[in-house]
Amino acid sequence: MMKNSQITKNEISSLDTCDDISRRNFAKKLLSIGALSSLAVSLIPEAALAWLDGGFAQREDLADAIKVLVKTYSDTKPYPHKFNDALVKMHLRNLDFAVRKGIWKERAEHYVWTLGVVVDRHIKKGVEMFGKDAFLWGNFERTSCSYQLYERIEIKEGERAVPCPFKPILDQIQKSMGTYQITWEDVHNKWCIPVWSGFARNVGVEIKVEPGETCRVKVL
Amino acid sequence: MKKLERRDFAKQTLKWGGTLTFLTVLNLPRMALGAGPPMGNPLNTMKENPFLNRDDLQDALKSLYMTYDSTSPYPHKFNDVISKGQLECLEFIVSKGLEKEYAEHYITTMKPILLRVKQRVEKDGPDKALHGMFEGTTCSYQLMERIEVSQGERSFPCPYKPALENCKKWLPDRFFMEWKDICNRWCIPVWTGFAKVIGVKLAVQPGETCRVKLA
Repeated sequence: MMKNSQITKNEISSLDTCDDISRRNFAKKLLSIGALSSLAVSLIPEAALAWLDGGFAQREDLADAIKVLVKTYSDTKPYPHKFNDALVKMHLRNLDFAVRKGIWKERAEHYVWTLGVVVDRHIKKGVEMFGKDAFLWGNFERTSCSYQLYERIEIKEGERAVPCPFKPILDQIQKSMGTYQITWEDVHNKWCIPVWSGFARNVGVEIKVEPGETCRVKVL
Repeated sequence: MKKLERRDFAKQTLKWGGTLTFLTVLNLPRMALGAGPPMGNPLNTMKENPFLNRDDLQDALKSLYMTYDSTSPYPHKFNDVISKGQLECLEFIVSKGLEKEYAEHYITTMKPILLRVKQRVEKDGPDKALHGMFEGTTCSYQLMERIEVSQGERSFPCPYKPALENCKKWLPDRFFMEWKDICNRWCIPVWTGFAKVIGVKLAVQPGETCRVKLA
């Protein structure tokens, strides 16, 4: 776990970078690329700007979300629960089942195939236009699949780092129930790495994953 | 603001404490505690409030903001990924014909917790079974937008119907299950399986508002 001062610094920088990449820089880059075809111009902005689109203040369902957030963060026993608790548990449960059945590879492939529609539709074009970092952008800060799973996403050109959400919950499950057969290494090798590598292959990018309590994914 | 109220309250309580009637003494802490815990020292309310003592709220708020500020192509919600993720996995499992074993795996791996719920049911009554399966666990309250609690019954908006519609629309040719498959091959088998371990019987009425009652 990072120290508070680091968290603040990193997060501020993450948010700035994130905002820069997604909206300001994106728009700048877009405007500066005069050679872009009109087709690409018409396709990409829609996908990119359909995120952090300023609709927050108009939402009428915030009360439910805030109630769940307060309920979650008031739930501190037997461990302090976080917003991603149930999502992490779902992934771990699914992986435990797939590993027991010997179908973890097919399972990861199915996930990549299912979400491949989005990857092909948006991220592939982003990589063609802006380079490999667009793969990481699309795979991490751009998608709810990641920002609802990872507490923080640290952004650097060509690299993303996230605190592993699976380790603390898997430890907790094994401590309180002991009913799962998977290990933390299985989570890296039979879920995260195959899934990220599968998405990367779809867009013709090679990646390197350094698993750990802070997991790092780099484009090569 | 809160600090002032609390300090003043303590001062006044101490100043007039000698003249307070026994009834007032009994009633005041309840007033002072407001929505907090029903018993305890009101001067410690803030200190002991688990939510106020969290130092990781900024991460949660940022994730919430990113979620609710993403309104295209559809308004995202906090349960967006968990509901879609469950559907994606179930689609895969159903394609392999393993849905029965998949539900059984969930029930089996949850058994230690379910047996603890069973103990609470034996002590405090069958409604504790619903508590343990719904508002008492993140797996439900982080999945369902709202859980309406009444004695012997829980109801909530089905998270899977809108998620399945979005998946079919935005990820074409990837989802073949129907909504009723989710009810019949996942929710009902899991809940009835949980109930069996806990030692109660349930009746499930699937719908846009799904109702689960003690039978």
